[in-house]
Amino acid sequence: MSPAAFALRSLGRDPVRAALGIAGIAIVGALLLDMLLLSRGLLVSFGDLLESTGFEVRVTATDALPGMGPPIEEGNEALRKIAALPEADEAVAVRFGEGCVRLASGRERGVGVFAIGFNRRKEWTILERDDLPAPNAGPGASEVPSLLASRTFASEAGLRPGDRVKLRPGSPGDESVLPATEFRVAGIASFPFDGEGSRTAAMGLPSFSAAHLGGDRPRGADPGGEADLLLVSLRPGESPEGAVAAIRRVAPGLRVFSIEEFLARFGRTDFSYFRQISAALAGITGFFVFLLVATLLTVSVNQRLGEVAALRALGFSRRRVASDLVAESALLVGAGAALSVPLGLALARVLDGILRTMPGLPERLHFFVATPRAFLLHALILGGAALLAAAWPIGLAARLPIAATLRKELVG
Amino acid sequence: MKRIPGILLAFVIAARSAAGLAEAPGTGVPSILVTRQLAEARHLSTGDVVRLSNDPSGKDPRTFRIAGVYEPVPDPMRLTAKRWEARMHLGDLLGMTADPADPAAAEEVSAIHLASRNRTDLPRLQRAIAARAPGVLVAASDLPEGADPFRVLERFHVAISIVAVFGSTAFLLALMVIRAEERREVAGILRLVGFPRGKILRQVLVEGIAVAGAGAVFGVVLAMATQGIVNAFFQWHYDTALVFVRVTPGLAVQCVLVAVPLGAVAGFVASWSLLRREVVDLLRR
Amino acid sequence: MTPAPETSEGAVLGGALVEARGLWKTYPMPAGPVDALRGADIRIGRGEYVAVTGPSGCGKSTLLHILGCVDSPSRGTLHFEGRPVAGLPDSERSRLRLTRIGFVFQRFYLVPMLTAWENVEIVQSEAGAGKAARRERTAELLDFVGLSDRAGHRPSQLSGGEMQRVAIARALANRPSLLLADEPTGELDEETGEQIASLFGRLHAAGTSLVVVTHNPALAERAGRRLSMRGGRILEEGA
Repeated sequence: MSPAAFALRSLGRDPVRAALGIAGIAIVGALLLDMLLLSRGLLVSFGDLLESTGFEVRVTATDALPGMGPPIEEGNEALRKIAALPEADEAVAVRFGEGCVRLASGRERGVGVFAIGFNRRKEWTILERDDLPAPNAGPGASEVPSLLASRTFASEAGLRPGDRVKLRPGSPGDESVLPATEFRVAGIASFPFDGEGSRTAAMGLPSFSAAHLGGDRPRGADPGGEADLLLVSLRPGESPEGAVAAIRRVAPGLRVFSIEEFLARFGRTDFSYFRQISAALAGITGFFVFLLVATLLTVSVNQRLGEVAALRALGFSRRRVASDLVAESALLVGAGAALSVPLGLALARVLDGILRTMPGLPERLHFFVATPRAFLLHALILGGAALLAAAWPIGLAARLPIAATLRKELVG
Repeated sequence: MKRIPGILLAFVIAARSAAGLAEAPGTGVPSILVTRQLAEARHLSTGDVVRLSNDPSGKDPRTFRIAGVYEPVPDPMRLTAKRWEARMHLGDLLGMTADPADPAAAEEVSAIHLASRNRTDLPRLQRAIAARAPGVLVAASDLPEGADPFRVLERFHVAISIVAVFGSTAFLLALMVIRAEERREVAGILRLVGFPRGKILRQVLVEGIAVAGAGAVFGVVLAMATQGIVNAFFQWHYDTALVFVRVTPGLAVQCVLVAVPLGAVAGFVASWSLLRREVVDLLRR
Repeated sequence: MTPAPETSEGAVLGGALVEARGLWKTYPMPAGPVDALRGADIRIGRGEYVAVTGPSGCGKSTLLHILGCVDSPSRGTLHFEGRPVAGLPDSERSRLRLTRIGFVFQRFYLVPMLTAWENVEIVQSEAGAGKAARRERTAELLDFVGLSDRAGHRPSQLSGGEMQRVAIARALANRPSLLLADEPTGELDEETGEQIASLFGRLHAAGTSLVVVTHNPALAERAGRRLSMRGGRILEEGA
């Protein structure tokens, strides 16, 4: 009889105990899996979000997040130099600003505005009607500037594609002398970095500058030449690292990031809390599995020392006794691990739903992302726990003094 | 007013001097306070003379004397930010950052912080200020309920705790089943000599409450002992004075109230499943 | 009654099967060391049936454990089939117990979650016997002990005597040279004990070498040699 078959019989002699052990391992294993999904989930999800825009390299003036720090002065010049690089396919400037819309009720609502140079890539998904028109669209092009509205902006302001809406610079409650600008709603879109309920408007750069939506800018500078962010897409076959190095050469003094560098920075700073907590909880749950299995196996061995001694007396080698115990541990943990995967994935959805209610997060950002690495680590940690857990009971069983144990069993 | 680069972000204090922040006597050099983090990073100490510039290139620096080093109030919203900050008089900051061509720049501030005498009267105060200074945004410091990320984190941690309780309960039940099985023969003998089931179960319950209570107290003590380690690690990692873990009396009571009934019930359930059997079954080898 | 199954050495050969000289076994105790065996000498020839008797605590089981390579003496020499046992590593001692020595215990020690068939078969598979050979041998042995119709029953479904018969079948599974039995009727009633004694008699008649520690007169009477022990010493031999 193989050790696995023997182990199955051993577990079957106390099915309630085995079932509870497996249930405990399944629940804790599910938590372990979730912590492994969390450890890099945010980075993977954020990386996917960044990649979905189609731009591999980002350029800012300082280390501050795009839109949070000072603008790139002479942004047009930098753009021209970058676009001329052989590695670059397209380079566009992005501006961020704030606008204000007055609703039918008379209340004002803030609208996040971003403007981007015309390019072939789609930074948003059109939900209704049209995209923004290309510049110089030819005769018949509307003289009223166009914008795309997010779903929340459109529904709160009662907007449909084709409607007109006025946006003024600044935030609700601001006193501003700058006039509001009328826009035509070209379409309704979903924006990748929008949180739930975000009010967002996207437009071309000329419309943005003309409407003075960029907020505070130093006098004397050329507002039209500035950019908060430059996005660069690469030609096929070009490496992001090579492109970053080339851009740094032509635009020293600017901060240049590939997606990987951007994510590495986030992993060290803003996302580091979740990495810490997932590491801590993964360690605790792994230890818990070890403790549970070690306790169950040790108690099981202690309860059948006489039986083990008899088998040893009959000629079962230490290796055979050890193999039986390793098989028993592997069966317990294996069954628990198999159950923990669907349980963990279901639990991850619940936990992800909780964390995604954090204000200001992009709606498409997830904290728990299934990756092969997470599943592999899950299997390795549980497998390691199973082996370690069997170590003490193996030591007990394999090294027990046969004669003394048999004698003690008789007396006891 | 020029936008202030993050690395040289300066806190503007009220027009009245803060303790220790005054011109160094006889020198004409204005004083500043720097954060501990900045002092450690740049090897600064009280009495050092430094030059601060509003420009990343270091253009037009101004000289200041470090009058003291302070620990910044920990801000959980800026946990990962480097707290390289300096405090100076409003006048010094304006002198460093205002556009000399703009006569109004010397009168501009980013914000005015108010401490009210009566917190419950805040809405009336907000309306009064808005009426006297139209165009000024007046907002209370408390975050609206749905906008607090820490409430979300709290829900997250509670969810994990619930899962951990379920996992522990399975473990606990397994141990209780083992314990009940170990005492099967004793239970059988007691039943054989005439002890009723109820009496044995009451003994089990009392024992279970005692063991669960001791375990729960041990768990709380262990948590209190390890909270120091957790805080020390995270405070070192993030270079902050923020407290991450705190075992409060309320929390300790909550844990005991969950653990003791669970332990007692687990023992009771395991024993009941055993005592339901016939006496002969209990005594059979 | 079916004929006794083959054991490893059917014919009585010259030379001792087991030879032990000057066996001492000392147990360190908190109150001071205890000598369970004090210089015991014993020689078991092939095909012999030896009964060991004596009061409780005289060292009978200790002697049996040492002869069966389950325990090691503190002093003295032990040869099994002419080979010294003392320096053997544990793996070889285990192999010896598995293939050359059969053990029957007072408390049976059947594996509770295996059937009678599986209890007999498992030691053969551990010794490396093929499936067909195991099947044949197991059927033969269960038939020999009269339990062919209980092959699929677990120990909890068997009586004490039936469990001991399964244990005997298991001890014979790998055709050992020597069968050791430690109080095999200790937990059985008189009638059942007589059945076990009869079984041992048949085994001896078929050529199996037996050493039986017992208080049971029926068992001791059937032995060709009787050794009595007291205070860790082998005092006398009787026929």
